[in-house]
Amino acid sequence: MDEILNVALFAGKILLESGAEAYRAEETVIKICEALGVEEAQSYVTMTGIMLSITHQSKSYTRISRISNRGVDLSKIDAINALSRNITKEHLSIQDVHDQLCKIDQEPRYSYGMTLFFSALSAFGFALFFHGTLQDAICAFVIGLIIKFVTIGMERNDINAFFNHAISAGAAALLALILHAFHRMDSFDTVIISSIMLLVPGLAITNAIRDTVAGDYLAGLARGAEAFLTAIAIAVGIGAVLSIWIQMNGGI
Amino acid sequence: MWVVAVSSFLATLGFGILFNIKGLKLFLASIGGMIGALVYTICLNLQFHEGTSLFLASVAFSLYSEILARLCHTPVTTFIICALIPLVPGNGMYQTMRLAIEGNAENALQMGLDTLTYAGALALGIIFMSTIMRYLTKRYGRKIKSFSSSM
Repeated sequence: MDEILNVALFAGKILLESGAEAYRAEETVIKICEALGVEEAQSYVTMTGIMLSITHQSKSYTRISRISNRGVDLSKIDAINALSRNITKEHLSIQDVHDQLCKIDQEPRYSYGMTLFFSALSAFGFALFFHGTLQDAICAFVIGLIIKFVTIGMERNDINAFFNHAISAGAAALLALILHAFHRMDSFDTVIISSIMLLVPGLAITNAIRDTVAGDYLAGLARGAEAFLTAIAIAVGIGAVLSIWIQMNGGI
Repeated sequence: MWVVAVSSFLATLGFGILFNIKGLKLFLASIGGMIGALVYTICLNLQFHEGTSLFLASVAFSLYSEILARLCHTPVTTFIICALIPLVPGNGMYQTMRLAIEGNAENALQMGLDTLTYAGALALGIIFMSTIMRYLTKRYGRKIKSFSSSM
């Protein structure tokens, strides 16, 4: 029984840490328990923890798992989703499931350089999408590169998300102002907007919507608050840099 | 129009890499972003209101994502999160902040409310489509499953 609890909580933990919706984590944890032969399983998942209680041969077992760090890794969610479906289909044992979960957990991400490059490319795309010129797009590319560099650097040092977003947005604004001062871009607004799109909380917005629709209001509200705070952090970061610059130079 | 298609594809592709989507799904997710952006631009060109265009665009990419998710046996979020990104009203957020630091509180408030409305329109599109698909899979779930496994 302890092993089943272990395995199911491990799966739930990976899911939440990879940015899955709370209702998905709940369903998957229960599905895994039932597939491994538990009579009754109940789970309660919030964004910061999982509570799982299973009943077998009229004895109850419960465990709580706390989730502290949350990132985004959609391919892990995909893999666990497939695994939970396969348990009944292929009659996997607890050990098999555990091994596969370990393998999923160790799965490497795209390399650091590649992440930086594609974030920058993304900012480049946004600049063109927002009717910028090629010149703007190239500026956005450079700023996007720097933003991601700053963000990942701070994530590695466990700086909290609000501060992280504010500083990244501030760095972007400062760089854009400097480039603008040297007349390297046509539209200042376009460049700023396309580079801060990299910080937009797309995952939080989507999960807030989906959890709310699934009836999980607590998780939905928490995700909504996360999205809102991120937006505020970005605004604070850019706002601070812009207003200091305007104070000093009398305009942009 | 070509610029919109290519630029939104690139923008979504970058996010796909950030979110660690792999293989064919990365490509499909980027197409989702492109569909959303194209529908949005076409609606704007047809003189639709900004909010309506966003709603229609989000219905379009949600439909695409929901169908693909069922065909590929993968969570819908893989596609929706990426496809949503180009349409997030980053412009409105920025303009609101800009007006606010210029001390133009009245216009900032107006702009902020508009931005919230646009975000709401996006959300509504996703909710709308996922509710319909939930209903359909519940009702015709078996047929869809046998259809997708025969593919």
